[in-house]
Amino acid sequence: MTARPPHNVSRSRRRFLTTAAAGAAGAMLPSCGWRLGNVQSNPKQVAPSDQLAVYTWEAYVDKDLLKEFQAQTKIKVTSEVFDSNETMLATFEAGKGSTYSVIYPSEITVQQMVQKEYLTELDVSRLAGLDNLLPRFRELHRNGGKRYSVPVSWGTTGLIYNPDKLSEPPTDWEYLWKHKDKLTRRMTLLSDVREVMGAVLKSLGHSYNSENPQEIKAAYEKLLKLKPAIASFTTDAWKDQLLAGDLWIAMGYSSDAAEALKQNPKLKFVIPKSGTSLWSDTMVIPKSAPNPDAAYDWINYMLRPDVAASMTQRLSFATTNEDAIVQLPQEWQGNQTLFPPDRLLSHCETLAPVNKGTAELIEKYWTQVSNS
Amino acid sequence: VASPSPPANTAAAKVAPRWLEPLLLLAPAGVWLGLLLILPTLLIVELSFVPGIRPGDVVNPTGWGNYLKIFDPSTLTVLGRSLFFAIGTTAICLLLGYPVAYWLAQIVPKRWQNLLLVAFILPLWTSSLLRSYAWISILRDSGVLNSLLNAVGLPSLQLLYQTPAVFLGMAYSLLPYMVLILYSSLEKLDRRLLEAAADLGATPSQTFWRVTVPQTLPGLAAGCLLVFINALGDFVNPELLGGTSSMTAARLIYNKFLGNTPDWGMGSAMSTILILAVSIAIALLIKYGDRNAKSL
Repeated sequence: MTARPPHNVSRSRRRFLTTAAAGAAGAMLPSCGWRLGNVQSNPKQVAPSDQLAVYTWEAYVDKDLLKEFQAQTKIKVTSEVFDSNETMLATFEAGKGSTYSVIYPSEITVQQMVQKEYLTELDVSRLAGLDNLLPRFRELHRNGGKRYSVPVSWGTTGLIYNPDKLSEPPTDWEYLWKHKDKLTRRMTLLSDVREVMGAVLKSLGHSYNSENPQEIKAAYEKLLKLKPAIASFTTDAWKDQLLAGDLWIAMGYSSDAAEALKQNPKLKFVIPKSGTSLWSDTMVIPKSAPNPDAAYDWINYMLRPDVAASMTQRLSFATTNEDAIVQLPQEWQGNQTLFPPDRLLSHCETLAPVNKGTAELIEKYWTQVSNS
Repeated sequence: VASPSPPANTAAAKVAPRWLEPLLLLAPAGVWLGLLLILPTLLIVELSFVPGIRPGDVVNPTGWGNYLKIFDPSTLTVLGRSLFFAIGTTAICLLLGYPVAYWLAQIVPKRWQNLLLVAFILPLWTSSLLRSYAWISILRDSGVLNSLLNAVGLPSLQLLYQTPAVFLGMAYSLLPYMVLILYSSLEKLDRRLLEAAADLGATPSQTFWRVTVPQTLPGLAAGCLLVFINALGDFVNPELLGGTSSMTAARLIYNKFLGNTPDWGMGSAMSTILILAVSIAIALLIKYGDRNAKSL
């Protein structure tokens, strides 16, 4: 599995089944305390200044990079991997979080971790190269304008389709409802409650992060109408079947789409015009970091355009670094699946945590969708 | 080591090992069971009484709220579906497994028995995830099965993302367990009783139902129970092979722990219910399984 093409960033990140085992283990870890709910604060540990522990997605592990960083800074880096934000958070809360100085959560989880006061507010004066980032990643308007994270990679959610099978190309989510009779058992949606409910909310003109019960109920009812036509809720099992022609259209992450398009250039990826979700993976420094100085060194190294560009090519993901994009070969820069033009992104939103009542409501509807 | 010891000590040394030895031998397993099974289970039971607990909350047990939530119709439907999958899979495994086990234990020449048994459990050596993905490529619309059907002029079947696909995947995964247990039970079958039955004029079907089956009843019950328990906790096959209406209890519990809306209390309550159900089944097996064995 280590030789897996790295542009499966989201494939490994969101695939339920591979996370399940690790997840179950993660859920059990806290049980080691007598009162697992009470395991809250992580006692601060102090590590030797020449060591740095990084906790990241498997897709971002890059041996060459570790070697280069070590050669330049004399800091010895060890990395451990997680395969879902939930697993990472469970491990963090079980007390293991205090061993890492840099963690790579997705933006939605960054906000959760900020709310729980796990993260250090970054000292922007110690970060060189934030100005190289794409404009929308330069300023983070969330979290009261404070910076807790530095985005590394990003992507969108959209529709991957086989143009030979469809009479007209889809441009928006509404296409699925309009053609649902023809698409019956020919389409799959993501196996992620927030992504699916968010897309339906968006198709109704509401926000991905709506907390309005009426809007959510309307989205649930709209999803129910589509349900008989949906073959399956899956993160990436659509890939082979879309290539084989068994499926015609699938909702998927841009990183997975880029991989499928590479295997069959006939396939197309579209970002629905009423908007979709924009995700990004980031680097953060937890409050319990044993070696924050080395963590700043690491983040600054990652912010260097040449480092970001070479890593982008080795691991095939969409970098957030504008200066790095310019250094990429032409065919990379022109990849509209990985780097869609800004005008398509104007209606997109980043998934954010919703309040507890809303989360429970969405979860309840999701269970009902899988029951009806 | 070779130091001379007074006679009194030798006597004590003779007495001590009688209880010390078994204790020492059992201690590792006992500690293992206590720390990794009993303690976590108790913690789950404790958590199940805390309403809506999420990671980081303080444990403060206060009642049966989580259990009442299970009586929500949608949760009951999920539990019912898990039972349906588990019972169906058990029945399929029993129907398919019994003849195979009988053949392996009684009909196959002795020298082939071990080889065939190994061949039969070979699929267990691969990951269950891999087996499910294999079934996807076999069952999908232009997959292996439909290519074969079309080649001989038969129409295609739409099996993937339907309930039959779930049963197929689960029965395939669990059949080896059933066969192994039934095999060890059928191997001990007393053939003299079969001959006696035939001598006394019993038809083959009478012999089967009144002589063979009662002798293998404990193995039959154990096999069914093992398959049932495993099927009840399966989420790989329903998730990958089932359609949009295939959420099972295992997946719901997962969602309650690591999903978008963690509710460890309700997840623990559901886990406790499943643990109870399985414990009752095992208790029944121990009680009545033994009685059957004695009555033979």
